Order: sequence, then C-alpha cells, then structure tokens
Amino acid sequence: MDKSDAVNVQTENVPVIDLNLTINENPVKVQVEPTARLVDILRDELQLTGTKISCGIGRCGACSVMIDGQLVNACLTMAYQADQTSITTIEGVSRDQEMDPIQKAFLEEGGFQCGYCTPGMVMAVKVLLEEVPVPTEEDIKMALSGNLCRCTGYGGIIRAVQRMAAENSEVR
Amino acid sequence: MQQMKASEKRNRKRPDGPDKVTGRLNYLTDLHFPHMLYGKIKRSAYPHARILSIHTEEAEQLPGVRAVVTFKDVPGLNAFGIVTPDQPVLCEDTVRYVGDAVAAVAADTKEMAEHACSLIAIEYEPLPVVDDPAEALGAATPKLHPDGNLLHKAHFYKGDVDDAFHKCTEIVEETYQVPRQMHTYMETEGGVIVPEPDDTLTVYVGTQHGYKDRFQLSRILNMPEEKIRIVSSPMGGSFGGKDELNIQPYGALLALASGRPVKIHQTRQESVISGLKRHPMRITMKTGVAADGKIIAHKVDILADTGAYSTLGPAILEFAVEHSTGPYVIPNVKTEGVSVFTNNGVAGEFRGFGGNQVTFALEGQMDRLAYRLDVDPLEFRRHNLRETDEIGPIGQRIASTDGAYQVLQSIKEHRQLKIKEENEMPDKWKVRGIGTAITMHGGGLGYGRLDPAGGRLCLKESGKIEAAFGFEEAGQGILGVIETIVTEELGCSVSDLSVVIGDTSLVPSSGSTTASRGTSMVWHALQKMKEPFCKLLIEKGEALTGVEGHRLQTGKGGLVVTAHDGEEIPIITYEELAQQSTEEEMTTSTNFDFPTTPDPIDSGHFLYTFGAVLAQVEVDLLTGKVKVIDLDQAIAAGPVVNYLGYKGQIEGGGVMSLGYTLLEDALMSEGEYMTQNLDAYLIPGIGDVPFTMKVEAIETLPEDDPYGPRGVGEIGSVAVAPAIAKAIQEAVGYWVRRLPVSSEEVLAEVSKRRINPWTKAMQ
Ligand code: FES
Ligand code: FES
Repeated sequence: MDKSDAVNVQTENVPVIDLNLTINENPVKVQVEPTARLVDILRDELQLTGTKISCGIGRCGACSVMIDGQLVNACLTMAYQADQTSITTIEGVSRDQEMDPIQKAFLEEGGFQCGYCTPGMVMAVKVLLEEVPVPTEEDIKMALSGNLCRCTGYGGIIRAVQRMAAENSEVR
Repeated sequence: MQQMKASEKRNRKRPDGPDKVTGRLNYLTDLHFPHMLYGKIKRSAYPHARILSIHTEEAEQLPGVRAVVTFKDVPGLNAFGIVTPDQPVLCEDTVRYVGDAVAAVAADTKEMAEHACSLIAIEYEPLPVVDDPAEALGAATPKLHPDGNLLHKAHFYKGDVDDAFHKCTEIVEETYQVPRQMHTYMETEGGVIVPEPDDTLTVYVGTQHGYKDRFQLSRILNMPEEKIRIVSSPMGGSFGGKDELNIQPYGALLALASGRPVKIHQTRQESVISGLKRHPMRITMKTGVAADGKIIAHKVDILADTGAYSTLGPAILEFAVEHSTGPYVIPNVKTEGVSVFTNNGVAGEFRGFGGNQVTFALEGQMDRLAYRLDVDPLEFRRHNLRETDEIGPIGQRIASTDGAYQVLQSIKEHRQLKIKEENEMPDKWKVRGIGTAITMHGGGLGYGRLDPAGGRLCLKESGKIEAAFGFEEAGQGILGVIETIVTEELGCSVSDLSVVIGDTSLVPSSGSTTASRGTSMVWHALQKMKEPFCKLLIEKGEALTGVEGHRLQTGKGGLVVTAHDGEEIPIITYEELAQQSTEEEMTTSTNFDFPTTPDPIDSGHFLYTFGAVLAQVEVDLLTGKVKVIDLDQAIAAGPVVNYLGYKGQIEGGGVMSLGYTLLEDALMSEGEYMTQNLDAYLIPGIGDVPFTMKVEAIETLPEDDPYGPRGVGEIGSVAVAPAIAKAIQEAVGYWVRRLPVSSEEVLAEVSKRRINPWTKAMQ
C-alpha cells in the first residue's frame, strides 16, 4: 500500500462543519469534525479548561456542562449535537470575579479537595437547585449520582448543598 | 463525639479554594503552549512476551508526526524505579505487563498521534503468563527478572510461637484475601514537557516528589539535574499513585526529539492499564489466646503480588510486616512476608501502604477471637492493648502515646450511643449490624531510609514573607496547612504571606509528599526556622527604627510592639523593612530528618497515629447487598491544624476504603485487566455513602511531646474494612474473609442460616 496515499485519503476525507454556539453568553464559531467531542472542543480548541475530563465515557461527571439548561456530559456530546445550542460551563457560573453562592458554599464546607471533580459537581448542583431549591436527601443523591469524587467521600459536598438548601428555604 | 473543640473552629478556607470552585485553577494537564504537540504511548499487546522486532517507519512518515521514540532513543539508563530501577522506560526485548511501553509518538494532534501509534508494528513472541502469585516462586515458573520472581522477603520474630500455641485455650486461623484497588484519582496522569531555549527542560507533570523525579529523569535522559526543572503541583488527586514516574520519561524524550512542548494526558483506559494499584495480598493469620484472655501467639504469613516491577514493593511489604500486630502486645510473634513478581500490572504505593491489608486481617482475628471467647470485641481489644510507653511493634522504641486507648475508648462510647439509637427498619427484608475496629499507623518512611525534610522562609523585596517547601498539593490541603502553621507561628497575617511549593527551581527539597509526613514536616520546619527568621527581621527592624529589639515581634503587616492591653502597635511594615534594608533578602532555611526511633531496627516507625472506626451496615436479605449507613471515626494524631481539612481527609479516606471493602477490584485474568474504565471499576458514588459521617479528633498528646501535629492523610482509610466486615457479621452471621465483599456469599450464608427478618442472626 502506498502510505502517503493512505494518509491523504484519511485527512482529505475528514469533513468539517461550522459550529455555531453560544458559550457563556458569548457567540462562538468553530470548525470541527462533526464527531468531535464537545469536551475536546472546550478544552483544546477554546481553552476552556475548567471543564475536566476523567473517564471519557459518561460515568464520572467531571465534564458536566449545561446545554440549554440541561446537565450533560461533554464527553458524550458530539459537535453536531451541540450546534446552535447555548452552553454554560463552569467559567460562566461565576461572573466578574463574583462567585456563585454554590461556589461559596463549597468553599466554606470543604466541598472539594483536589478540586478536579469540583467544576462538574458545581454544575450538577446548580442544575439541581434551579429545579429544586430545597432538595431532600433523596433529591441530592439522585442529582449528584452521576458525579464521582474520589477525595472528599462526598461529606463536604453534601454539607455544601445542605447549606444552600437551608439558605433557600429561609428566603422562601 | 459531641463537643466542639477550639480546633474545630480553625476552619480556614483553603487558599487554593477560590480557583478550584470556579474552575480557574490550571492543572498541569490543562496547560497549553504554543507549538505544542500531543504525545501517545504505545504499550504492550501482551502481558508477557519477547519482542522480536519494532518497526516505526510507517508511523514516522505520517504527516503531522514529529517524533517517534523507542528504546534506541533513550540516552541514559533505560529504566526507572524509585528505589531499584528495574522497569524499562521503553522495552527492548521483553514486555512483562500490559502497561509496558514500547514506543511513543508526538504529533500535531491527538488523533494523529493515536493513528501513528497504530502504525507502529511490533512483532512479539508471547511467553507463558505468570498470573498466580502463589506459583510465582515455583521451580517450573518462568523467571520474569534475572534473579527470579522473588521481589522481597521480610520477617519479624519474637519469642516462640510454636511453644506458645500449645498454651493457648483458643486459637483462630484464617486466610484473608484483599483486592487490587485502583487509586482512581480523577485527574489521570499527564502534563506538558517543555524544551527551553537554554537547553533545559521543564517538566509540568504532577508527582509526589519533584526532586526524585528530577533525579530519575536526569538518569534516563543523561542530562544534569540542574538542567531539569520539575513543576509538580497541583494535582487532581494522587493517593500514592503518582509517586512513581508515569508519563514523564516519554514526554521528555519526545520533547527533546521534536524540540517542541509535548503534552501527554492519559485516557482513563491508559491509566488503568499502566497505573499503579494497591498490592493484592493473601494473608494467613493464626492467633492464640491464653486462659487469661491475653493473646500470646500470633503467626502471620503474607503473600503480596507486586506485579511486574519493584517500585516501592519492598517497603510496602516491610510496612505490612511491622503493622501486622497492630496496637496489641503479643509476646510471641512470627510474621513472614513475601512479595513476588508476576505479569499482573504493577502494584505500588497507595494510601495506607500495606497497613490496610494487614489491618483487615488482624482486626478480623480480633473479632473472631472475641466471638469464640464470647466477650465484647472492644473489651477484648482493650485487654490486649499497648500501654503509653510500650515498645513499638517490631521492638523499636516509639514516641510515647496514649492514642490506642484514646480511640478505643472514644469509639466504645460512640457505639453505646449508636446501639441505643431508635432504629426503625425501612422494611422487613433488611437487617442491620454494627462493627468496630482500631488501628495504629506509622508516619514517615521508617528507620534506615533517607527521609530528609526542609523548608525556607524569606522576606522578599515585595515585603511578602515567602514560605517555600518542596511539597505538592494533590488535594490533601498542604497549602492550607502551610498557611495556618506559618501565620500562627510568626503571628503574621495571610496577606503577608506567599506560599511556594512543587517547583524544583523555587523550593528547597523537603522529601516526598507521602507517608502522612507533610503536615508534620511543615510544623517541624517552623519550629526550627521561627526563631532565627524572626531574629533576622527584628535585628533589621531595630537598626532601622531604633525600637529595642526585645520589644519587637513579628505581627500582622509588619513588626509590632505589644501594648499593655495586648494590642499590637505597628512599628514598621514588612514592605518597608524589605525595601529599606540594603543587603540581600533575609532568608532562613532548614534541613532535618523525619524523627526516627533511636533503635537501629530497619524500617521501624517512630510517630504513630491511631484510628477507630464504627460502621453500621444494612444488609438486604433478598439480594445480599450491603449498604453502609454509618461510618464514624475517632482519630488520635495530635493537634488539628485545620479541622475542615482534617475531617475531609478522614471522611475521604473512609469512603475510599468503603469502596475497597464493598466494590473495588481491578480484576485481572491471565495478565489482562478485565475492567478498563469506571463503568466496570466502580468507586463509591454519593448514593453509596452515609449521608453524615462523624469524625472525632483526639488532640491530646502526652505531656512534653515535642513532635506536634501528625499527618492524617492515611489513617482514615486503614481500619474501615474490618469494621464493615464485623458489622456484616453482626447483621447476618457471615464472616468476611475476602474483599470486596461478595453479595453472593452473603446471600448464600443468609439462606444457609435461614435468616428471616424476625430472627436476627446473632441476637
Ligand atoms: S469525562 Fe465525561 S463523564 Fe467522565
Ligand atoms: S475533590 Fe478530588 S475528586 Fe473530588
């Protein structure tokens, strides 16, 4: 087999699509393969490295982002699926240096150690609290069951969410 | 476990926190450099094979490929290993496990690198696989290393066990089997290696001992150590798993070959295949008690599967041998440990360091004996417990400690409360049980091993006090510990301080960030540096301001004088002090060794921490599934530096061991991993853990103890498995001897005993 030919075939045959996204309220245009993973687009193309990658198969939640308000694993989202959507990543959660109350709660309750699961965890908690401002134990377990943390044993994370729940129930 | 102590209020928010919760923190695998390439490592296709040929031409010709390296491209020693370098960087003639690297590629994109890897043609001749550690030393078994398959033997003998067993009124013998646990740090191995214009190399890759990586890389690359800079922090978790070199040599070789920065970030599968694991062990214990209820004989046989290469296997075995009598006084002991090479992955350093394995067995023995004797398991332990000034487990003198008694007492009181708690059972097909276990765990590397530590304080021109240590932040909270200890010892405020760690170009060598030594070493360093450093500053302050030195002290913002009402009156700020002094920066540094036993007993530890665990489980009689509903610990490790960090270490270590007990095993079959990602290798999720866990910190040390706070990175993980195992036995009568606990075995026992919800097993 002629090697250079084989290679040419390979590179030439890869189509690219124009992706139009809104990321953290900013319009973004990128050219990528239709099957590129959103997590790679975020991390490598756009250098939004707050979104992490750990398992790559939808089991750990380190890559959690919000697409049109829904929590998704960016490692399971293909470029073409993300086209024309509005994405919020961890970088979009705290605006102008002002932390989200969820982030403050994580800070104060020891909801992180190495911090690698934290962006995904914060995203999952954000989605949870938007839906259920005062979650029960069951709600918390359900909502965070797709996010693994190896450091904390979840104690600090649970305390952070409970603090938010307490604050939310006072407001009501 | 009720009162809040002063230390619990020291809930300092971690300095690395804001960047972590906002996602702003750049991990080393997040870094991006101009002209950066992506590297991939081609690993072995077989667990054991001879390499007949390696062809890289096709890969090299692929457009976008900038470098391909094989064993031929290793300029120095083609091997690594913290103690004994016996693992090839790039295999030349033999592969000994599925993670062995044969070639590596750097290309413009990850996909190209991957594609190039698939074009590297390696011809192998498969060899018989050694996958059963029990057969590793057999005469007919193929030898994996020139000296055969014995990595290490270790023993401890005391008294005469055979004779003592004759005098026993009760003897329990059992064989325990523990699994190959994976660290499962959320950030897999990786980083960027950058060739600098001045012919030096910067290695941005997480590790637990930057200076050791530098030493090893210098040996591999045949490059002077001074030309290599290791930036080793922060890390997205390590737990021992990133202590040994991982992708650094490949990144470095590729960066040097291509002249460009090379990023390697292993996928989870690559990490599973190549990464270290906890040593699987088979431990047989025979333990006998005399008529007075005292244990008088204890015989232990340990067989550890170290896998293909050494790394810290020998030290882990020695640790296991040392800890196989735990906090008990036993006059006749015969412990023998063997660690063997196989083609099963590589086992190495992991939180607990061999202690978790033997503690599961030892505490299992204690519970079985207490059951046979029909005495309370904690009472039985107390009856055999060490005293404050008792000699250490392998005959060495150790720092005086009441820890064993303190944690035992604390967990006993806690158990009483728990038993009294009204337990409304959710349904009739579930039964509950409570189990407890205790342990002692040595900190530092042990007698006879180089265990240096050090640190540096410096008043920088900017007016900041820089505290520099060669430690790494892997999530354990060393940055917060340094901040707390330095500000408290010097009296300065957080804003006066800048903390520098994890960069060989900026920090002194402090030894490894392992063995629960970080906190302890920072505290010791400050005790040594505080006086000379303050003296430097005060002398300078006296010369500049005319205020007598004996009235000056370091305070918040600068040098201060304390008024009668206790108020600090500022005299000169650190900034003025730094800028008005004409000479160079004021610096104090220190070098010392981790405290060791005065007795020349190899590997013996000196500073011990103690832990006691209470576990309550709920066993489903229909499925055999075990759910842990309480996991509470009492820890004696000296003063708490930061309660939030302390609690986090204990809870996190506890849950990691909950996984070890109930879920985790990186199963291998004929040298191949049966689980390659987190879909099959299950770690605890939020639904698997108790919603609240209690951590009781016992801070009192014997009077005049000069050793300060001990580290708690490991202790919370050590005695969890036996506590859960005992809780299961309390619930359904099943004695666990193999981890992770099998629901099938639990269920079999349940049906054998015809346990019905209305006749709870043991009561
Ligand atoms: S990396 Fe996407 S779920 Fe694990
Ligand atoms: S904080 Fe390390 S994985 Fe969650």
